[in-house]
Order: sequence, then C-alpha cells, then structure tokens
Amino acid sequence: MNQTPVIQLSGLRKTFGRLTAVDGIDLTVRAGEVVALLGPNGAGKSTTIDLALGLAHPTAGTARLFGGDPRLAIQDGRVGVMLQGGALLPTMTVAQSVALIAAAHKHPLPVAEALERAKCTEIAKQRVSKLSGGQMQRARFAVAVVSNPDLLIMDEPTAAMDVEARRTFWQSMREFTDEGRTVVFATHYLDEADTYADRIVMLSAGSIVADGTPNEVKAVVSGRRIRANIDGEWTEGDEAELLSLPGVRSVERRGEQVTIVSDEPDAALRAFLSRYADAHDIEVTAHNMDDAFLALTEASREKEGVLA
Amino acid sequence: MSIAYITLESWRQLKNLRTFIFTFAVPLVMLLIFGGAYGSAGAVDQVTGLPWIVVTTVQMAGYGAMMAALSQAFNIVTERSLGWNRQLRITPLTGAGYLVSKVIAALATSAIVIVALIVISVLTFHVQLPFAGWAMAALGLWAGVIPFALIAVLIGQFAKPSYAQPLFMVVFFGMAIIGGLWVPLQIMPSWVSNVAQIVPSYWLNRLGQMGAHQSGDILEPVLVLLGWTVVLAAFIIWRYRRDAARS
Repeated sequence: MNQTPVIQLSGLRKTFGRLTAVDGIDLTVRAGEVVALLGPNGAGKSTTIDLALGLAHPTAGTARLFGGDPRLAIQDGRVGVMLQGGALLPTMTVAQSVALIAAAHKHPLPVAEALERAKCTEIAKQRVSKLSGGQMQRARFAVAVVSNPDLLIMDEPTAAMDVEARRTFWQSMREFTDEGRTVVFATHYLDEADTYADRIVMLSAGSIVADGTPNEVKAVVSGRRIRANIDGEWTEGDEAELLSLPGVRSVERRGEQVTIVSDEPDAALRAFLSRYADAHDIEVTAHNMDDAFLALTEASREKEGVLA
Repeated sequence: MSIAYITLESWRQLKNLRTFIFTFAVPLVMLLIFGGAYGSAGAVDQVTGLPWIVVTTVQMAGYGAMMAALSQAFNIVTERSLGWNRQLRITPLTGAGYLVSKVIAALATSAIVIVALIVISVLTFHVQLPFAGWAMAALGLWAGVIPFALIAVLIGQFAKPSYAQPLFMVVFFGMAIIGGLWVPLQIMPSWVSNVAQIVPSYWLNRLGQMGAHQSGDILEPVLVLLGWTVVLAAFIIWRYRRDAARS
C-alpha cells in the first residue's frame, strides 16, 4: 500500500477580511478511506475543499495531495471533483459536457464509460437545462470521474436529490470506492455521513470538533433521551425536580411533552415514573447523529465563548 | 495545452447560431444602406485612395468582426456565473490554454462574419477590386480582431452579470465611433482622429484598408495591436488563476 497520504492538510487557515472561514485544520486522509466532512452551512467545509484543491490560497498552513502541490495532482487527472453549484453549461447535452471536460484532460476515460459509471447513459443526449436535480448531480459525477481519478472530492453531492436519486447516486459511488479509491465528501445530511462514510470529520466554525468512525463519533455523546407527556400545571419546581433525577443533563418542555436527557436512563426513568405516575406516551431513544452533532458543535461554541 | 479542448470549445461557440445572426444583421444592414448611398457612383475616397464602397465594406466587416469578438464577453459572464470556470480550474487546462481557447473561438466567428460581409458586398455592388486585395483586407481585419477577443475575455472575467451589458455598450460604441468604424474619421472633430491612433478599432479598420490597397506601413498598427494583446493577455491569465477561488 502507498504510504503517502492522499490528502494532507497542516495548520490550514483561511480568513476573508475579518471572517475566519477555516481556523487551523490538520487532516490526513489515507488511500482507500471514505471520509465525510460533516458540518452545518458556514462550518468551513467548502473553503476547506477549495484550499485542499489549491483553488484558494491559505492564509497559513499547507495543503498537499498525493504528497505534492494540489495543482500537480489535478494536472495528472488524479483528482475528480464535484463542486457546489451548477457548474455545467445549460445549452450543452450531458454527453457533450463530459466530452468537453474529457478533452481538457490528458488521459481521460472514454466518454461512454464515464457516462455509464455515473448511470448517465440514458440522459446522455439530454440538455443540461432539462435535467432534474438528481440527474444534474449524476451528470456532474460523470464529469468528475472522466479523468479516472484516484481521489474523488465532492461538495454536498446529494443536495437537491430526492430519496431515490440519493440511493442511485450512492450506489454508483460504492462501485467507485470498491475499487480502492479515496473519497471525501462534504455533507450536512447526518444519516448520509453515518451510512456511507467509514470516517467522519466534523467541522464547526472552521475547526475540527470530532474525527473518528461513525460509532466513535456517536459515542461521544452517551446517554438516552426520555420523552413523555405530563398532564397538569408545569412549575419551576417541576423542572428543578427533574433536573435532580439520576444522570440528567437537560430538561426541556414543549406543551405537554417533556424531554429528559440522562446518562443513567434506567434509574432516571424509574424515579421519573414514581414521581409522575400519570405520565403517558413514554418513549426512550438512543442518541443519533443529530444529537452527537448538536452536542459537539455546542461544546465548541461554549469553548469559544470562554476564550472570547 | 489541449488541442482537443480548443477544437471542441470553438465548435461549441460556432454552433451558437442565435447570437451569430444578430452579430451579423446590424453590419449587413448598415453596409447595404451606406454602400448604396456612397458607393453606387464609384466615387473614390481622397484619404485612402480606395473606392468608397471598399472603404464602407472594410468598415462594416471590421465592425461586424469586432462585434462578433466582443460578444464573447456575454458567454463568459454567463459561464462564470454558472461556475463553469471553477469546473475548468479542476482540469489540467492552464490560464494560457483557457485564453487561447476563447481567442480562437472568437476568431473563428469573426472570420465567418468578415468573409460573409465581403462576399455580400461584392455580389451586391459589383466592386472592382482584385481578389488579392479583398483577401488581404480580410486577413488584416482578422488580425486586427485579436485585441477585441482579449477585451471580451477580460470584460467576461471581471464583469458581474448585472453590469456586463452597460460595460459592453460603452466599450463597443466607444470603439466603433472613435475608431471610425461607423462614420469616416475625416468628418469628425480633429481630436477624435488623434485619440483614434491609440485605439485598436482604428487600426483594425486601417489594417483592412491597407490590405485592400495591398500597400502601407504595417509596422505601426502591428506594434499598437501587439501592445494591446500582450497587456490584455497578461491580465487575463492572472485573473483566470484567481477566479476559481470563492470570495
């Protein structure tokens, strides 16, 4: 196996005027990894991708692809990229778009093969302006793979896709990664990162707040959520009482419904039921990616507050 | 630099027939009107020593060619706003390759405009000029169009969609009038003639006239046009490299 990291970002920073978009990112991606860059809008995902590709110049730090200047990797056709936005010309057909980009590359795949890999054969003769959101993304995927790259970088590849389109898209992605290639994709769909990546890098406010397997990232936030409906008046005293239950971290009330997050859910639930015997519609759920995400990004925001 | 890419890109531009027809229609109508007005009697222009109809044909062919080249700006503005240039930046296409592809596409369109206008003029007005004269005139105009192709790329690279149109108009009308492409310079105030010496549209027209004459000192026009070309090309390549970054 090749020991040179596919992507190596060291101390990467990027500021636009007074705004810091990327605030000191260190990231190493090895060959064969499928990495999700997860974060809300404005977390710095797109800027990180631009810096990694050499499309923008970092304020500080370095970005290397395959051990060298990103531009060299792009010139060799080793990187396929799906950037955010339209990016294809509406008056051209899908096949023409792929052919035009292929012509700019030194050793492209045959156009038909790129179309087939992206499941675009049926829409090859359609104009880009007539494509649906999902078809558009597939066309852009065809453009991205036409150089037969070792590394695929995608910025929000499934934005504007319906469920079926997303499934088809990830299926063709699987075929691509099964050949041992490296994929990095930015997303704010938590389930997508959970399902398709074998490593999740979470970004918040330009920094990495978590980096690990989906399970590791989820385990960062332990505990379960207890949800129940309580009839009757709700007082400050009730809230204080619930907060004193075993392992409780937070209590939230919306109308009749109360949500308790606890690190000791069994004990908390027993105590809760002995106090509120009339509680109904009780539900106990494990934390999912959303909760992990909220907890982590909130933690980083609090840290920032302290520093400021 | 990729020949395959440049070929496909030029072909793509040529197929864009709609803009092509508009580029062509205005100079054609002006040629038919002015050509009929000035040229029918076979009068000779004292300044250039060429028949008026030849002067008018060169003027209008130059005007059409300039318009064909400059209108590239709109394509580029649109392409950029769609993110096409970002897409190109993640291919091996270099800044110089991008520039050449756009200039060649512009030259291909203007070549067709020049030839078509000259052929129509010859067929309509039965102008007496040797074939070599027309060929050299066309070649002179064609070479003179290069700076305009570059100006178009530059407008395309810097202008936002919202003000590309007015910017194009200012450049286009300014160049057409000061360069003497609409009305001969001798009927304008003398300061216009002085300013004309440094604008590429004046030399575009002069190169066409010299070609038609098959004589004249081409050193000055070549130097002026080369100066424009080098400065514009440097700006464009610099800009293309920065353009991909999101702001």
